[in-house]
Amino acid sequence: MTRLGDHIATGVLILLLLAAWEFAGQLKLVADGTLPPLSAILLRLAAEWREYWPHVGATLYTASLGFLIGNTVALTAAVSFCLWPVTERIFRGVNIAAFTVPPIAIAPVLVIALDGETARITLAALLVYFPTMTAAMAGLRSADPRAVDLIRAYGGGPLRTLWLLRLRAALPAILSGFQVAAPAAVLGAVLAEFGSGARWGLGTFLLGSLGRAEPDRLWGIGLTATAIAGLGYALSATLAARTTSLNRAVNIGIAGPEPDTASEAPVRRALLLAAAILMPLLIWQAMLLWADLSPIIAKTPMGVIDYLITGKTASSAQTRLLAALAETVPITIAGMLLGLGFAFALALLSFAAPLLMRALLPFALVTQTMPLVALTPLAVLIFGRGITVTLVITISVTFFAAFVVLAQGFAMIPKAAFDLVDAYGASTLRKLRLIAIPASRQWLFVAARLALPKALLGVMIAEWLATGKGLGNLLNQSRGYLDYGMIWAVAVVSILLSVLLYQLTPVLEWVGRSDRRSK
Amino acid sequence: MQGLPLQFTNVSKAFSIKGKALPVIDNLSLDCPAGSFTALLGPSGCGKSTLLRLALALESEDSGSLRIGGDSPRSICRSGAVGVAFQDAALLPWRSVESNIRLPFEVLGRKRPDAAKINGLIELVGLKGFEKARPGELSGGMRQRVAIARSLATEPRVLLMDEPFGALDLILRRQMNLELQRIWSAKRPTTLLITHGIDEAVYLADRVIVLSPRPARVLADIPVSFSRPRGAELLRDPAFHHVCDRIAALLDPETSAASAAAETAALETSSVTAPAKTGTTA
Repeated sequence: MTRLGDHIATGVLILLLLAAWEFAGQLKLVADGTLPPLSAILLRLAAEWREYWPHVGATLYTASLGFLIGNTVALTAAVSFCLWPVTERIFRGVNIAAFTVPPIAIAPVLVIALDGETARITLAALLVYFPTMTAAMAGLRSADPRAVDLIRAYGGGPLRTLWLLRLRAALPAILSGFQVAAPAAVLGAVLAEFGSGARWGLGTFLLGSLGRAEPDRLWGIGLTATAIAGLGYALSATLAARTTSLNRAVNIGIAGPEPDTASEAPVRRALLLAAAILMPLLIWQAMLLWADLSPIIAKTPMGVIDYLITGKTASSAQTRLLAALAETVPITIAGMLLGLGFAFALALLSFAAPLLMRALLPFALVTQTMPLVALTPLAVLIFGRGITVTLVITISVTFFAAFVVLAQGFAMIPKAAFDLVDAYGASTLRKLRLIAIPASRQWLFVAARLALPKALLGVMIAEWLATGKGLGNLLNQSRGYLDYGMIWAVAVVSILLSVLLYQLTPVLEWVGRSDRRSK
Repeated sequence: MQGLPLQFTNVSKAFSIKGKALPVIDNLSLDCPAGSFTALLGPSGCGKSTLLRLALALESEDSGSLRIGGDSPRSICRSGAVGVAFQDAALLPWRSVESNIRLPFEVLGRKRPDAAKINGLIELVGLKGFEKARPGELSGGMRQRVAIARSLATEPRVLLMDEPFGALDLILRRQMNLELQRIWSAKRPTTLLITHGIDEAVYLADRVIVLSPRPARVLADIPVSFSRPRGAELLRDPAFHHVCDRIAALLDPETSAASAAAETAALETSSVTAPAKTGTTA
């Protein structure tokens, strides 16, 4: 009964928020009408439907193929990492790069190295790979260790364990990975259309409509892209819900032990680390060999080193790159911190006012499934082309993942801890201060790791599309000037920057840990 | 099908924790004759489970040897001659009761057993009517009974059980003890039961082995010669309680040293495989 009541209250709140949107649109309350009323957007969309569908079809095609290929690679990788743990360590560099790579930086490079269609599908697949791979790995490893023992006790080897137990046990995790991967595929497709000069696709459509300053058209395209991404999300979520209910029944949360590397020979460890660092470079080189392109267009690792460090272009390239970095890095960090802060506030809100949170969640989900590039022009309409727009975009891309992690962290605080302070009559605020906030500290760092690479992506997109500053702009300009060396250099530097920031969070975590002095 | 003898000879095993060696089993010898029922008792963390994992080839011994029917544990386990039940039922939640019991056949790569056989096992453990149920729909005790049925599915000649009734309440535990005795008497697989329940050990086994705290050594080897079948009335027999008290004294850290010395003296007057009937009455 109360659950039904909750659902009704949530529904009413959502309707109220939609009504507020319509109202604000009709009265042109937001930035002089850049937020059109919902009805106007939908009417325009209905009227222009014929114009939409070839674009929708093209994006769907790219995203679906990317989703299929990316997931195939991800599942194959996860299975092999699970069967032969050493392969995971060899591919660690590739995995971190795949997670941290700002897709906007790699899109032009892919377009140079591959033909348009392949490049678009590759980018979509690349963005799909990481979420599915990590989810599948976690799922394969989460198999009940007792059941693993049981199968081994009857003489079953790793393959039989995989077949009879691990794959099925991992199914819910894999499907929840698909939930993240499906919107990512759409984002990849739209981003690639944006940079590859495709004739069709929502990205192309958006690019063509950018100059026309018609908010309702832009919103229409944005909502269409969101709907496609949301559809993929919903499909995977439904499938996941069905399989999870069965698995959850008796599973106990004991994860298998992480492989112990402390007792390993130092030489072997060093070799594996070297392999992990070299692997991405090898793949890069191999891809170029396979594509068989002129070294002027397609730079090898040595080519980039020549361009940036040893060649005669080096000093000019370095100056431009450093200037761009000086603009991009501070705002990335600022944006990430604000995004984390926003996520934290939202998580606190969801803790203090669950009902309001449930009503806001669909809107938060929209910002997540709505491809960034579709969001950016709208943000420009509302916030102009200054620093604010960069920050707003960065916050909107970083907060959701961080919020999910933090909210999960709050949910994992034992209920008994709250009951204790409740028994002493603590207010909600005091409960937050005494228990929720201290308990969520460790989750904050997990959230930061997730948010950082996304923050860089958000900043670069804003720079490319809106502010004309920093790395994003440098990339865009270099495309215009056909400065291939710089395109490759920006791609490499932005990946390195992202990896560096990513590796920095554990260090911060260590510094921030208060109990380290006690040891 | 006859049981197979199970022999641990001078077995030692150490684990490495953060690079440091932690001896878990120290030069342990134990001989379980074909068709015998041995119960292993010992303080928590003493290495009982490791012993069982060695017999299942889930771990390998550092030194010494382990033979089941004269063969290595690995090849015996692959032949399907060993049945196993853990403290946790370890059922696959997406499979029905029937299908969970069939699992060992799939692992061993054998052909599907006929339905009558599986149904017989389900009936044996008192789960008739639950053939199609999923583990999530069963109570803890029922799940454990499925695990027992599964351990018996391959008609094992060696039965290894690690606290199979640990999660059950006392009443259910007694019931299951009766069942296990009945099953064991019918097929006589060589059985090694790890348990925390002294009364359970004495009630079921021919012989109770008390292990020392880690690293595990045999502290005492106590024959239990009450006649079979053993009924519920045995639980009220003073002789039964006398054996239980002796074992409890061995397990209690405060009295353990003195009791162990007494038991060792008793052991030295006889061989390990044919111990004197110290203090038990049939």
